[in-house]
Amino acid sequence: MEIKVLEKDDSNMRFLVKGVDVQYVNTLRRLMLAEVPCMAIDEVVVIENSSVLQDEFIAHRLGLIPLKTNLDEYNLPEECPCKSEFGCNLCRVTLTLDAEAKEGTRTIYSGELISENPEIVPVKENIPIMKLTKGQKLKLEAYARLGRGKKHAKWQPVSLCAYKYFPKIEILEKNCDNCGKCVEICPRKVLAKTDGKVEVRDLMACTLCQDCVEACPKNPPAIQVKWEKNSFIFNLESTGALPPERIVKEALKILDGQLKEIEKQIR
Amino acid sequence: MIIPVRCFTCGKLIADKWEEFSRRVKAGEDAGEVLDSLGIKRYCCRRMLLSHVEIIDEVLRFYEEAEKRREARGYY
Ligand code: SF4
Ligand code: SF4
Ligand SMILES: [Zn+2]
Ligand SMILES: [Zn+2]
Repeated sequence: MEIKVLEKDDSNMRFLVKGVDVQYVNTLRRLMLAEVPCMAIDEVVVIENSSVLQDEFIAHRLGLIPLKTNLDEYNLPEECPCKSEFGCNLCRVTLTLDAEAKEGTRTIYSGELISENPEIVPVKENIPIMKLTKGQKLKLEAYARLGRGKKHAKWQPVSLCAYKYFPKIEILEKNCDNCGKCVEICPRKVLAKTDGKVEVRDLMACTLCQDCVEACPKNPPAIQVKWEKNSFIFNLESTGALPPERIVKEALKILDGQLKEIEKQIR
Repeated sequence: MIIPVRCFTCGKLIADKWEEFSRRVKAGEDAGEVLDSLGIKRYCCRRMLLSHVEIIDEVLRFYEEAEKRREARGYY
């Protein structure tokens, strides 16, 4: 297996995987979506709410706010030694909000949530939670827990997690008359005509749509779009809860654990 | 009612970008270009901002008017 990181910043990652089959990358993708845990608000106690929207509406909005997660410090509630429904400070983080509009209408932002652990905070400070007019109040206590995407999408650490086959474009030079029809139709501008000759400009952008093959007036087409066997481009976008490379590492760790579990069971 | 926190389809956080988006579009910028500069690439997320109407502002106007009346009564 060979991995090459093509692009990476604090929330996006694009990498090339070679030498694995489709089952393996798909397993990885599904683990990242459904099994890699992250923090999200799970329970809300509303103490006072005189805003125009209902408690459950606000609770739902709070749940969807991505929180920065520290996987090393916290346990999943079902795996925590405390075994309590309410949770302990190894499996739960309390966030409080006490907001009032004193002078006219204002927006309450996620930055006003006060966390008991300064590391577990919303990924952005400017997410509007609610709008209040003068005299309205919103006071609540929210409990964040670790969870998994398979239970609720708010616990998904990724907002984009997909792979595609590595494209392989062949232009048969002896049949091609460089008419440029394939260049014109390509939606991703993969092909380009330089010095009167059609060439591949940006191979990675190709989506394997086959439009260029269909547009080619030659029969059989002078261009062929195929894909490399066992070679994939993986695209990952984190919600900000975890850094992308950590999501990949966690997915691999979970896969290892699951395989060990199978081994134990069939013995 | 109020801008959804995440994209309905993919789950990307979009609520934090709404205020900048609406301010810049109101100032006359091209909506597509604003979305590009905010780093919103997929069309599922783009439609979240493009098609959003902040109805809560309309609702809050009733409360603001009621408040104004209450104040006016207090003065006289
Ligand atoms: S459409 Fe076919 S013949 Fe025309 S330039 Fe492309 S590959 Fe060559
Ligand atoms: S398959 Fe589609 S994206 Fe790829 S080169 Fe042909 S037209 Fe462009
Ligand atoms: Zn616990
Ligand atoms: Zn989206």
